[in-house]
Amino acid sequence: MKDTNLDLLKNDSIEKSYVVETQDLKKTYLLGKVIVHALRGIDLKIEEGDFIAITGPSGCGKSTFLNLIGALDQPSDGKVYIDGADVSTLKGNQLANLRRKVGFVFQFFNLIQKLNARKNVELPLAIMGVNKKKRRKEAEELLRIVGLGDRINHRPTELSGGEQQRVAIARAMTGNPRFLLLDEPTGNIDSKTAQGIVALLKKLNEEKRITIILATHDQNITNEAKKIIHLIDGRIEQTNFERGVN
Amino acid sequence: MREGLIKMKILDVFKYAWGGIRVRKLRTFLTTLGVIIGITGIVALLSLGEGFRIEMTGQFEQGFSLNTLTVTPGGGFMGFGGGDDEFYLLVNDTERIDEVEGVNIALAIISKQVSISSNNSPRTVSVVGVNFTQYSEIYGSTFLAENGSIPFSPANDTIILGAGIADPWNNGTLFASVGDEINITWATGPISNPITKSYIANVSTILKEIGGFGIGGPSDNQIYIPITTAQEFFDSEQCDQIIIQLIDSNQKTIDSVTSEIEELYDDKVSVMSPTALLSTISGMFSIIELFLLAISGIALLVAGIGIMNIMIVSVLERTREIGILKSLGMKDRNVLTIFLGEASLIGLLGGVLGIALGWGVSNVISLFLSVFMGSGIGGGFDMGQQQAMALSITPILTPTILLLAFAFSLVVCILFGLYPARRASKLNPVEALRYE
Repeated sequence: MKDTNLDLLKNDSIEKSYVVETQDLKKTYLLGKVIVHALRGIDLKIEEGDFIAITGPSGCGKSTFLNLIGALDQPSDGKVYIDGADVSTLKGNQLANLRRKVGFVFQFFNLIQKLNARKNVELPLAIMGVNKKKRRKEAEELLRIVGLGDRINHRPTELSGGEQQRVAIARAMTGNPRFLLLDEPTGNIDSKTAQGIVALLKKLNEEKRITIILATHDQNITNEAKKIIHLIDGRIEQTNFERGVN
Repeated sequence: MREGLIKMKILDVFKYAWGGIRVRKLRTFLTTLGVIIGITGIVALLSLGEGFRIEMTGQFEQGFSLNTLTVTPGGGFMGFGGGDDEFYLLVNDTERIDEVEGVNIALAIISKQVSISSNNSPRTVSVVGVNFTQYSEIYGSTFLAENGSIPFSPANDTIILGAGIADPWNNGTLFASVGDEINITWATGPISNPITKSYIANVSTILKEIGGFGIGGPSDNQIYIPITTAQEFFDSEQCDQIIIQLIDSNQKTIDSVTSEIEELYDDKVSVMSPTALLSTISGMFSIIELFLLAISGIALLVAGIGIMNIMIVSVLERTREIGILKSLGMKDRNVLTIFLGEASLIGLLGGVLGIALGWGVSNVISLFLSVFMGSGIGGGFDMGQQQAMALSITPILTPTILLLAFAFSLVVCILFGLYPARRASKLNPVEALRYE
């Protein structure tokens, strides 16, 4: 299929392979008649097992950056490599396939309202064509991991904000993605619940070595991150490599 | 990684589509309603049409007199159009026609609308003045007595009643029976100042039920009097029709007699075989059918536009959901299939309900027709001044009709679902996720 060039690129990289690599990444878009320079050149290499927090004031380009490294959007200039594949050379179905290597978690959970927790988690697996029995098993296990083993048949409307976000995290983890992208994962839940989410992310990163990249304002999260990237006006202002420095 | 086999199963796609329909029950129902109406119309019409065709074939099989011709004044079909108002056929024209080679019997018929009354209330019927002997020779299988017998040298006041006239309500309450006296009243002259004539007739015979359309021969909803009585009572030598029995039913004989008679009368008469009559009637029926089908087609078109409209709204409403699906790695093709799946499920639903409803409607129409036409309330409708026609059509649902209706509803839904579905599949995931 169209994944052959992904493999080629993977084999070519003699250096240490990065989960995500960006080179002079730029993104401009039109907001009405105004040209917005959301990203003005970002160089970043993310390794497997990283736990990266991207911080910065609103409008600094955090979400745009996440969309680009999640293959939801194409850069205006520069390169994004996801698992070694150059995103700008991919189209339609190849991009859709690439998105399966990324687990997205959004601020507003973005669960499908008509489906219960288990079916929401199963959805990416159904999209991948995994059979019913397997995906049910995987979904139930993931829901147990995020601490919702007893709420698998509840619909989003029957779950609290924190629980919905856990479902979203479980959904993002289906099919063993290369990394999780979280856009303000605690932005819409109370601080106590948020702590639970942070603990969960930390556990996933440490115990399951899941690479985590998230955009946040939440001090609780940045305290746990291994690396903090501070964005201002579409540029990296500061990078802190040690936990809890910021 | 499972890159190699990233392909959503079609069943899962449809299940997802079904979920989308289930949460919007009322809207789905209203959307489907248009399809249901269109398909109902199509199924009702086609099944009635099919029933009509079968009925026609039945007419041929149950001793339809194929060796007869009908001569009527006027060049057009059954006197419609192209007629010469000054031209009449006379009762003694039968003598001229008898001379034509290939003619066995030529029989004059006078027919008029009259009012009859017995102990029961008066009713308007068509009376046929005819020579009973020759008439029963030509229509031996239908002009048969149920009560009494066909009088071959009838008295002047003899009258024979069709089964539908004697027992108009089909419940045993008889209008008249053999031996009863019936008053026959005929109104002529201008409507503002009519001249009425009447006489008392004696019921000698009740005919056996004939059924069917009664085209070109006796019918259940007529009364019969001797031709001589008719000439005298209506004070006229004109006849409305001359029925010819041929020596055989070869097309060659039919053609040669037809052209010879047309020549004889300078093309001022029309000569019609029952086959031609039936095919003309079925041709007319086909035109009506086509017209009604076109209306059903328009209903479906409107339904299609409704589907498109609802689906465009649905795509807008679900923009965010589409964004989520795409962020989860769903391909454009699968998003397209989900929306087309919803459209085709509406088509499926509309098809099934429409077929069921159409079948019901066609049966109701058939019942309505047989009640109004069959039992003779109002005496049926008049075909070419002479033959009343009793309609009884049993609707028939063939596999072809089923398939056609089903395919049509699916095609309409998919066709009109295509644009919104494409629109959904082409949404940019980032913008879709940002949509409120």
